[in-house]
Amino acid sequence: MTTTSKCILACIDGSELSNAVIDHAIWLAQTSQLNLKFIHTIEHSHMSSLVHREGAMIPNMAEHLLGELSDEEREQSKTLIAQGKLILQAAMDKAVQAGLSDTTAKQRHGSVSEALQDLKSEYDLVVLGARGENHVGETQGLGSQLEDAIRAIHSPVFIVKGEFKQPTSILFAYNGSPTSKKALGFIKQAPFMSMQQTLHLVSVHKIQEQAQALIDEATNLLNGIASPVISTALVGEASLALLAYQKQNSIDSIAMGAFSHGKLHGFFFGSFTTRMLLESDANFLLVR
Amino acid sequence: MLLSAKQDWLGNIRADILAGIVVAIALVPEAIAFSIIAGVDPKIGLYASFAIAVIISITGGRAGMISAATAATALLMVTLVKDYGLQYLLIATILAGVLQIVAGYLNLHKFMSFVSKSVMTGFLNALAILIFMAQLPELMNVTWHMYALTAAGLGIIYLFPYVPVVGKVLPSPLVNIIALTVFVYFMGIDVRSIGDMGQLPDTLPIFLWPDVPLNLQTLTIVFPYSISIAVVGLLESLMTASVIDELTDTESDKKRECKGQGLANIGSGLLGGMAGCAMIGQSIINVKSGGRGRLSAMTAGVVLLILVVFLSDLLSIVPMAALVAVMIMVSIGTFNWASIRDLRTNPKSASVVMIATVIVVVWTHNLALGVLTGILIGSLFMAQRLSQFMYIDSSYDDASDTRTYNVVGQIFFNSSDKFIALFDYKEAVDKVIIDVHRAHFWDITAVAALDKVVLKLRREGADVRVVGLNEASETLLDKFAVYDKPEQIDKIMGGH
Repeated sequence: MTTTSKCILACIDGSELSNAVIDHAIWLAQTSQLNLKFIHTIEHSHMSSLVHREGAMIPNMAEHLLGELSDEEREQSKTLIAQGKLILQAAMDKAVQAGLSDTTAKQRHGSVSEALQDLKSEYDLVVLGARGENHVGETQGLGSQLEDAIRAIHSPVFIVKGEFKQPTSILFAYNGSPTSKKALGFIKQAPFMSMQQTLHLVSVHKIQEQAQALIDEATNLLNGIASPVISTALVGEASLALLAYQKQNSIDSIAMGAFSHGKLHGFFFGSFTTRMLLESDANFLLVR
Repeated sequence: MLLSAKQDWLGNIRADILAGIVVAIALVPEAIAFSIIAGVDPKIGLYASFAIAVIISITGGRAGMISAATAATALLMVTLVKDYGLQYLLIATILAGVLQIVAGYLNLHKFMSFVSKSVMTGFLNALAILIFMAQLPELMNVTWHMYALTAAGLGIIYLFPYVPVVGKVLPSPLVNIIALTVFVYFMGIDVRSIGDMGQLPDTLPIFLWPDVPLNLQTLTIVFPYSISIAVVGLLESLMTASVIDELTDTESDKKRECKGQGLANIGSGLLGGMAGCAMIGQSIINVKSGGRGRLSAMTAGVVLLILVVFLSDLLSIVPMAALVAVMIMVSIGTFNWASIRDLRTNPKSASVVMIATVIVVVWTHNLALGVLTGILIGSLFMAQRLSQFMYIDSSYDDASDTRTYNVVGQIFFNSSDKFIALFDYKEAVDKVIIDVHRAHFWDITAVAALDKVVLKLRREGADVRVVGLNEASETLLDKFAVYDKPEQIDKIMGGH
């Protein structure tokens, strides 16, 4: 059943980043007074280890095979559900310790992106780890499901890339596009933005005046925000300039509009969002 | 989309390639046998199987499903080939492909919901019977060697898998072919071989437009064949897709499958191949062998072509007995044996639908006609059942001399006569009230029936009042979408 009260949805899978996802989600829930919901997905490979290559057609083979395959997957599912329950319980315990009430946990079959799509009426912010359980031991790179998951969401999404540390400096990349404006609107209203977080408003353009014009436009839109704002107009290529700025100012989180182009565009020209996610070690707040 | 495409192709590389090879080996004898059924050279079926398997691996909507030249479509082309020749078959194949693409755009796959389980079972049983019957000419007017070899072949196919270690690795249909070929060759037994059945491929297929005059006359010749092929091809493909969906617990894109089958047939026709569709048996074999991705169908097609082009000399000495054994196996594997057992326990109507489907197909050799018959009979049974859901009770009020009829249930073409008969027209009363608010008028026959009742009662001198007609006729609208929401259905169906 769908619930009417909206919440923060944290996707956890027991991987290395899961703990950081839990911590960030708890912080976001505390600061924004929203309920927290943990979700764990049970992914079936649908690959069978019972392979018969004898190639002969026997009577009622579809029924036989269906019986065999469902018995096999049933066992797998039971194990995965049990493992997931432990992961969710640990997360719930942590949330209770942090003083959060009304925290819920949920398990679904299928991929993370499917779950996010099916539950889209139930959340207004998603917290995701940049890498999942298929990338054990990696400290760089992105999870195989991350882009699909982000594209499935039409709410803001917080991408966790490392251990929890309360965000103190947030870089906002503004380029004047509709998604960018939407993102700016979100960050202005965001309850977790307070005096403790400095907002670095940055616009990059090939021409200095244009970059400055973007900054002026954004500053106008941000009028009335609780956090202190530092604005900078940069000249150059967007991703390089932003990444350099982030390094120089040791910024811990980057906020921006994401994936405004279709998937095909990204396939041929490379997606700006994916490049930023890959290159930077900061956490990301993406607004779709 | 792109990520899932990558998963579809590369998610299961090793298992897909091995499964594809198992399938390719079984596809070769089948493609040859189906060419013989259609009355064309074996190379026509082999080129078709290559083209269809490869194209559908890219264009199809169901990863892990195998499509190639099939018995179901081959059976439909027999008279076309006999009367007009190969070139007309090729153009009919291309046209069937075009029709399937159109069907895909028109979302005709949704009509599969009319095909009941009984009809599907009948379809498969009839297909199995026809495949078996197609082998009979090979077994008539032959020496005892042929029977002995066929029996030996079947023995190998079904017993070899029990041999430890190798039994589960080597496809037993292949072992059957090799063993019988070697035996016949070295013993010098004089039996018919595949080489006697017509030309085998010696080159890769080439791209050619069929050599037929493109005019209205050609169209009138091939169109009836094309439409049958298109319909049967889509039926078997969508049926197979559902089976694979169930086996692998994953979803398929049925609309894409329709269009993909169309493209595959167009490609087959242009490469000198006959029409085909998804193969239920081979698709199950593929899944059983570990094939899940698109790569398995692609491998099956490519390996098949390599096998036949480079081994055509060897292939030509394979005795027909080995092929007949494989086809009897296919027939046994396709037949739904559980349906014979279920005849005793299933409702009679289900059995009648299944058997009627089988009879019509075996009679006409046209699976489309059998399916149509099954659907019609099934629908009539359903209408018959629904018409039982209706009754009328009545009460009489002495003081006002009023008879009140309460109509409850479904009124439509099949129940309207019963509805009319339930009123007592001989009773002389002053007033009649017909309360229909708990009834549903499903069609204009029902409305006409009510009019008739009212007229008849008035004629007998009663004042007739109909109550609740608005509620009762809400179901008359053709806008099915209205019933999508639970509260709408509750409103209409409330009280039943």
